[in-house]
Amino acid sequence: MEDENKQARTLVEVIEGGPLKVSGNFILKDLKRDVTDNPTEVYLCRCGRSAGKPFCDGSHRK
Amino acid sequence: MDRENTHMTGARKYRNGDITVYWKPSACVHASYCYRELIEVFDPGRRPWVDINGASTDRIIEVVDLCPTEALTWRWNDEEKNADVGPEHTNHVKYMRPELMDDKAGENDQNPVSVKIMIDGPIVIKGSFSLQYDGRKKDIGDSIISLCRCGSSNHLPFCDGRHRQVGFEDK
Repeated sequence: MEDENKQARTLVEVIEGGPLKVSGNFILKDLKRDVTDNPTEVYLCRCGRSAGKPFCDGSHRK
Repeated sequence: MDRENTHMTGARKYRNGDITVYWKPSACVHASYCYRELIEVFDPGRRPWVDINGASTDRIIEVVDLCPTEALTWRWNDEEKNADVGPEHTNHVKYMRPELMDDKAGENDQNPVSVKIMIDGPIVIKGSFSLQYDGRKKDIGDSIISLCRCGSSNHLPFCDGRHRQVGFEDK
């Protein structure tokens, strides 16, 4: 099962009116904060208003 | 004779005494390294936007090598010198500084996709992945895309460089 998970393509999903969802096997690098991570799923801010960048905090709804 | 590679066809050229910098707008993903690192040479608000005499050759090479795509490339004017430049530098499988390198890529035969949050700029995604937007799902094979993070792009979800004009600051 683990192999199956690994082979699944990384999915980059643009959520309409919302964030960018990235899931699967990927390396996330935040150059401003100098952070490198290997998460399985993230929601990234696309509206520019999140207080917790680079991640979405729901501010796009306000 | 002209021994430039074909990928530079159509590129604009800026030449100083040592090197020629090639600018290929269609390849730009607005990662924004060039003007953030060296506004004296690369100023998007100026026409022409490249002033090849604005900094030393060494510094220009350093910054051009940061460009994650082939939008900015360089060659020595002296063709013989290009022969001495390693293949990782020429034409232009880029040298990248450590924070730009996929340091796990060599350890993992899956070659994980790289998702980079650019400083006050877009999300640059490199590798092979599926992209879903506007109800469509597209398989992207070994390429680079750039997605808007400031919300002001005129080509959403993609970055069109507007973050600079709107003064987007990631804080």
